[in-house]
Amino acid sequence: VCVAGYGQSDGNEILQLIPPPTLLTKETQGLCPERDFKVECGGFSERPVYSLKYVPDTSLLVTSGPPDSSLQVWQVSAEDSDVIKSVSTIATENGTGQSWAKIDTISARAPWVLHGSRLDRVQITEVESRKNVYTAGIQGNEELSSLAFLDCSLLLLCSATGRLCLADTRQPQGLTEAVPAPSVPSSEHWCMGTQHAAQGSQPGSQPVARLSSRGLLALTDLRKTSEFLAVAKARVPSPGSGAEFLCVSWAPALEGYLAISGFDGTVHVYDTQSWDSSGREAEPIFVHKGHIFGGAGGSRDPPLVTVHTWHLQKPRTLLSAASDGSLHVWDWVQPCGKC
Amino acid sequence: GAGQDVGRSCILVSIAGKNVMLDCGMHMGYNDDRRFPDFSYITQNGRLTDFLDCVIISHFHLDHCGALPYFSEMVGYDGPIYMTHPTKAICPILLEDYRKITVDKKGETNFFTSQMIKDCMKKVVAVHLHQTVQVDEELEIKAYYAGHVLGAAMFQIKVGCESVVYTGDYNMTPDRHLGAAWLDKCRPDLLITESTYATTIRDSKRCRERDFLKKVHETVERGGKVLIPVFALGRAQELCILLETFWERMNLKAPIYFSTGLTEKANHYYKLFITWTNQKIRKTFVQRNMFEFKHIKAFDRAFADNPGPMVVFATPGMLHAGQSLQIFRKWAGNEKNMVIMPGYCVQGTVGHKILSGQRKLEMEGRQILEVKMQVEYMSFSAHADAKGIMQLIRQAEPRNVLLVHGEAKKMEFLKQKIEQEFHVSCFMPANGETTTILTNPCIPVDISLGLLKRETAIGAAPDAKRPRLMHGTLLMKDNSFRLVSPEQALKELGLAEHQLRFTCRVHIQDPRKEHETVLRVYNHLKGVLKDYSVQHLPDGSITVESILIQATAHSEDQGTKVLLVSWTYQDEELGSYLTSLLKKGLPQSTP
Repeated sequence: VCVAGYGQSDGNEILQLIPPPTLLTKETQGLCPERDFKVECGGFSERPVYSLKYVPDTSLLVTSGPPDSSLQVWQVSAEDSDVIKSVSTIATENGTGQSWAKIDTISARAPWVLHGSRLDRVQITEVESRKNVYTAGIQGNEELSSLAFLDCSLLLLCSATGRLCLADTRQPQGLTEAVPAPSVPSSEHWCMGTQHAAQGSQPGSQPVARLSSRGLLALTDLRKTSEFLAVAKARVPSPGSGAEFLCVSWAPALEGYLAISGFDGTVHVYDTQSWDSSGREAEPIFVHKGHIFGGAGGSRDPPLVTVHTWHLQKPRTLLSAASDGSLHVWDWVQPCGKC
Repeated sequence: GAGQDVGRSCILVSIAGKNVMLDCGMHMGYNDDRRFPDFSYITQNGRLTDFLDCVIISHFHLDHCGALPYFSEMVGYDGPIYMTHPTKAICPILLEDYRKITVDKKGETNFFTSQMIKDCMKKVVAVHLHQTVQVDEELEIKAYYAGHVLGAAMFQIKVGCESVVYTGDYNMTPDRHLGAAWLDKCRPDLLITESTYATTIRDSKRCRERDFLKKVHETVERGGKVLIPVFALGRAQELCILLETFWERMNLKAPIYFSTGLTEKANHYYKLFITWTNQKIRKTFVQRNMFEFKHIKAFDRAFADNPGPMVVFATPGMLHAGQSLQIFRKWAGNEKNMVIMPGYCVQGTVGHKILSGQRKLEMEGRQILEVKMQVEYMSFSAHADAKGIMQLIRQAEPRNVLLVHGEAKKMEFLKQKIEQEFHVSCFMPANGETTTILTNPCIPVDISLGLLKRETAIGAAPDAKRPRLMHGTLLMKDNSFRLVSPEQALKELGLAEHQLRFTCRVHIQDPRKEHETVLRVYNHLKGVLKDYSVQHLPDGSITVESILIQATAHSEDQGTKVLLVSWTYQDEELGSYLTSLLKKGLPQSTP
């Protein structure tokens, strides 16, 4: 588990943590003595870390954050040291009004990072050589809110206005399809969550979820983008400070389950299998409220959940982090009668 | 194994010529010589008593005091041993307990005896918190509250203006029965801190306690029995208070027992040293003694066979012998029961075996015990983590930090973190390694009153907030340093003061009379040297500050005037400047 700070002043830490043994394996073998996380290695970042991704099959990780859309590449501990060292910077041309880059990584032909802060500035860079491999030629200067590798040639991008763009790196002009946003009001901010395809299945066969700052959730099948698979509304407060922490993710081990966060100090879990396209309000299967109760007294502002993710093996286990520096690992008990 | 490796703490510090040994611990994982520190590092030939000025023990845990009787009675040391009062009271009990197990149960021969423990404790001098203790004329020590366990202290060792603070084990967060460690802004040259748990990020205490209570509650609700093997002193009291509060809140009826013997003594010590517990306990002590529990009663061996749910705290903590093992054997076969191990278990003990997952144990007489009861481990140890270490450094403001740890660990990140945040040097030596820290000692120097008065009379009035540069002569005699005026120094040393005076001749072409030349020179100099005091004296000479210029006619050539420029050694610079200025000649137009 890697956590990083996003404070304004420099001296943000990046910490690679080893979770307690109870969380590492699917089933508890023998007895696991510890409840504590251990700092395996750590580093210092001069800029706030807004996004962090490991580069698969390497000992590198990539981070991004304001004030510009460049990326920082780090070497996670060598044999003799527990310091995460800054290795290089992948610079990007910075226009005005550019925010920080969203990133995703893949190690197919080589370790690549897909990044960009705006739709028209999306590119793939080879991590070690910092060479540009591909530039998506998408029109539009909308802010990019999420992006993902569906496989080493297919890219999925989501703008803050909710537009989905599918790009194929094998096509010179890139853009294959654009899927419009589910609703008209442009004041909403959107983000997306994708699921990794199971071994052997086609990339893009898994539904893509888009989440808006109003709590609207739209599921789309990329093979049939003319209609929505399902639309529902989550009962959430409107995010006060902005939509920068909106996060939606699919459960890797539970079919049709997704989680959302970024509105307040809670994380909602939904079972989308019963949803239709009506846009009705959906009941969450579970709401994690731990971050609200975790902190010190009520005088401070309630914490905001900044990000969440699912445990890769344990089916109902999630990890979430909040603006008060707390990291929670939690699960929920399925009420009897349901599978 | 399960949990952190328990090391043998023993640190040697040399400060301003004094040698202090910090802690004298035993490694509980070894059965041979490796369990004691290697004292040959201290001195190869000499007697330890001559070499060491004192020994300081931070607290009663065996990994900090376990080797003390061996050190003082078998290796040989007769000097003072310092520790706090609770440590002095409790240490011998734990040492004797461990001796019994090692010798009687394991049959070891090369181990210290009961008499040795007694003789060792006779050399102990007990200290109070924040009491400055003079070990000798120059060396003084002071104990600070460390939390962690009853009587644990951090020690400041001071010689002159150099000081070292050793933390031992400490805890920066208060718990239910002990307060948090505290240091004042003592600004030691070096802070030595344990960093074994520095890479740990502890999960919240509330979560941990809630989990513990949930497990106990569930077991008791289904009619099972909970066995909690504990060391007599330490976390047991914490868990007792926790359960007592929970039982009260939930109005639970199942009995909780505390096994007799050593544990009764434990509560007795907590009451005795109540000032060492935390504020809440001390405050409520008058109304209700926290250690007199309403729901927790003394255990009787027979109760173990009673039907129905119960919770029992029994010693010893690793299930290696005694009452806890007896109870364990009785309850192990029932899956409704639970055993919760609250601490680290040494390899070879039953505790360690069941924590590693063994469910069939061989007991004496080749009897196989099948363990069907639930086995849980909840570590409640109270050590400082990285956050705690940073907090302590912030409080004490040391100039250097030294991290002590059991096994060779990668601590580069913490080292950088400390160096970056506090701008101090951070060291992490391995066993046997020597670290040298350079200090900037302050040397006090007396300044003579006469010199002080004289120097302050020059220039602006003295400002208390601004440093002031003064000139004098430093006299070093015996061990005293004095700053006096040069004249005074010469007088004391019986030396005559000599004045050096330079005179230089500058030739100037000027046919006019001498006094006119002088006037020309005077006006010229006055014009050029605006910041200096240039004066034309009635006797015809010119002074620039304290430099004298006189003009005479050249003996052979009336058209040439000779300027004599004369200055003392102190005015060398101005003198040279004047000379070169005059050598350039006078300006043509004379005002």
